[in-house]
Amino acid sequence: MSFATPPKLSRAQVAEFQKEVDAIRNEAMSRVGQADVDHMRRMIHICRGSEVAGRALLHFGVGPLSWAAGVMALANAKILDNMEIGHNVMHGQYDWTGDPALNSQSFEWDIACDGEAWRHSHNVVHHTYTNILGKDRDLGYSLLRLTDEQRWKPRHWLQPFANLGLALGFQYGIGSHDLELGRYKHGAISREVFKPRLDAFLGKIKRQWLKDYLLFPALAMWSAPRVLAGNFAANLTRNLWTYTVIFCGHFTEGVAIYREEDTRNETRGDWYIRQITGSSNLEGGRLFHIMTGHLSHQIEHHLFPDMPSHRYVEVAPKIQALCQRYGLHYNTGSLFSQFATVMKRIFVHTLPPRALSPV
Amino acid sequence: MTVTHNTLKPWPRLASQLVHTLERPWLSAIVRKSAVEDTLNALHPLLSLDTVKARVVHITHESPTVRSFILEPNAHWQGARSGQFVRVQAEINGRRTERAYSLSSRGGAQRLALTIKRKEGGLMSNFMHQQLRVGSVLTVSQAEGEFVLPANEPLPGKILLLSAGSGVSPVMALMRELHEQEYAGDVCFLHVCRDASEQIWVDEMLLIGAQMPGLTVVTHLTATQGRLDAQALLATVPDLAERATWLCGPAAWMDQVHALWAEKGYASTLTSERFGGGPTVPADAGTPVSVVCERSATQFMTEGAQPLLVQAERAGLAPKHGCRIGICRSCQCTKKSGTVENLLTGEISSAPNEEIRLCISTARSDVTLAL
Ligand SMILES: Cc1cc2nc3c(=O)[nH]c(=O)nc-3n(C[C@H](O)[C@H](O)[C@H](O)COP(=O)(O)OP(=O)(O)OC[C@H]3O[C@@H](n4cnc5c(N)ncnc54)[C@H](O)[C@@H]3O)c2cc1C
Ligand code: FES
Repeated sequence: MSFATPPKLSRAQVAEFQKEVDAIRNEAMSRVGQADVDHMRRMIHICRGSEVAGRALLHFGVGPLSWAAGVMALANAKILDNMEIGHNVMHGQYDWTGDPALNSQSFEWDIACDGEAWRHSHNVVHHTYTNILGKDRDLGYSLLRLTDEQRWKPRHWLQPFANLGLALGFQYGIGSHDLELGRYKHGAISREVFKPRLDAFLGKIKRQWLKDYLLFPALAMWSAPRVLAGNFAANLTRNLWTYTVIFCGHFTEGVAIYREEDTRNETRGDWYIRQITGSSNLEGGRLFHIMTGHLSHQIEHHLFPDMPSHRYVEVAPKIQALCQRYGLHYNTGSLFSQFATVMKRIFVHTLPPRALSPV
Repeated sequence: MTVTHNTLKPWPRLASQLVHTLERPWLSAIVRKSAVEDTLNALHPLLSLDTVKARVVHITHESPTVRSFILEPNAHWQGARSGQFVRVQAEINGRRTERAYSLSSRGGAQRLALTIKRKEGGLMSNFMHQQLRVGSVLTVSQAEGEFVLPANEPLPGKILLLSAGSGVSPVMALMRELHEQEYAGDVCFLHVCRDASEQIWVDEMLLIGAQMPGLTVVTHLTATQGRLDAQALLATVPDLAERATWLCGPAAWMDQVHALWAEKGYASTLTSERFGGGPTVPADAGTPVSVVCERSATQFMTEGAQPLLVQAERAGLAPKHGCRIGICRSCQCTKKSGTVENLLTGEISSAPNEEIRLCISTARSDVTLAL
């Protein structure tokens, strides 16, 4: 794997491509209205109902079946809250409604990652510098080596374990992401910048723990262990699911990685192309798309981060057809096959480069 | 007018304490305020933690294009002074839309009356006329505005209430107030409209007239009598100079009346209410315009057609930002008023209280930002 060879399109073609993508966007955005808010409010209602049901089952249920059902319901609520609701709302997909409950800049979600930190690390850094090595800090989350262009270090021998740890504690992974711990240690970030970030991160963890591991168990009195374990299992389930979906978005086989110098004088058309070639989709039904927060349409999401996500389903065929006409690779597949390529990449890059090449 | 805790009724007082508690980070991590608000709303559409909601209890067809909506507000309503307006919010096609409407009811009335003229192609007025039913619920602000009678001093001896078109709403509120106070002075109620079909509240004015000996009601119909310009006004109201006047109508016409006052140097007060003159024609890109930033209490003039983020930075402000190309929304802020162009889409919009991204918006008129 090496850097993306820039698609062989002339400047005129890129400009034409940009126009066609813009047209697809404008057509979809012109129809945004009541149906979109209704969808989001329905998701919020289901999420709340699911949380209440989950917590009630954990608190008042008896036996392992109701425990498992409670865990699933609570995990479902957290997944909806983080994926279909939080992630999309925080991208500003519903800012046009003027509803303060759907405002991107004030939304806070049920996860150990502080909303404000997320808005920076994800909306600013990742979405602007998608797949530019050294700039997009989501590339391997500063933890994993996913391409030959990243220098191999001995710690990468432990990469499979680091990966497992990241999957299990994914919420803390993305929560601490904006701390830029590595850069702080090397002195690239001052204490004045680092300290408030750390406080925000620890503050958010404290609030989450207070809720899931102290308050609700305490309210359950003699059922405290049952509730504690249930909340832990729900958080774990959410972590594993979000990890899986998010890793399939950019770390699959065939996703292009860019060099900063190649992206300096980018037009919007170039930017569109980078978003398409740097992302990969997952195939599935409506329920699957919702449970992934429509990150199953990672390509469309990266093209149009502020389009209400449930509309990705209707623009996807147009984008795919467009890519075909311009000879751009539109990376899509089932969750299983895409995830297999992610795992392969992680394992392959565990090994130092020369171990691969014949001596 | 700010109202302190102590003057609130019991439920709003309790609710405002509850809101305060719900805004604590540790508690909002457990239950969001919006969840509580939605639950209250599901229990009863008028229930709210902090917003005035009002239910339509009656709709009167005043004329082919004018309807009055009688609203019953919830406990958060803090009352109004006659002549004030409220900002009405409704969700139209998913979007919260807001417009100001004068109360045509008396300030002290239990129920609020809005009298709204349907504007061809107008978003809110058509929504109100077509979608509102008895039982519909609207969100309204507390009363605002200075178009009121003097509060702590005796009323002037001679008054002119001068209105044209839908400008009659706040003027009628003043009329009703004078009637309620059994005002014994000399009052002239002069209303301008196109023809008799547009005349509203005829019966009520007859009734009030019968009870107020000092009241003269004059209706000027432009279809037959022509426009009421300064000359015609002086002819209709010869003692204009002596009358404390309250004025509301189309902007250009009000400007004429103000010009007359200035020209003649009348000593009597002239109080007016402006409904705003429809969509303004956007200035050419790059025309210097004034930008008022409310939170930082600064004002600056734009230079060139660069986005507002750049302009604000040049003026010494440091708005929050990230990508600077319209992706991350870090720079988002509320535009209170004014016209801006979205540089990505070319869309020009003048809606009040709209979220804009400073890095991709240029000012096309004077704007006020929440920044
Ligand atoms: C303090 C105050 C008090 C008010 N009180 C009253 C009152 O008591 N009664 C009352 O009826 N009104 C009142 N108004 C006016 C009211 O707020 C609205 O402006 C009015 O109802 C029109 O709103 P709308 O949404 O229907 O029209 P808008 O959609 O805002 O449009 C306004 C006008 O512009 C035209 N228009 C809209 N978009 C375009 C475009 N792109 N190009 C060309 N033309 C366009 C429309 O056709 C319409 O005629 C008051 C205003 C203020 C500021
Ligand atoms: S700075 Fe990112 S949207 Fe304006």
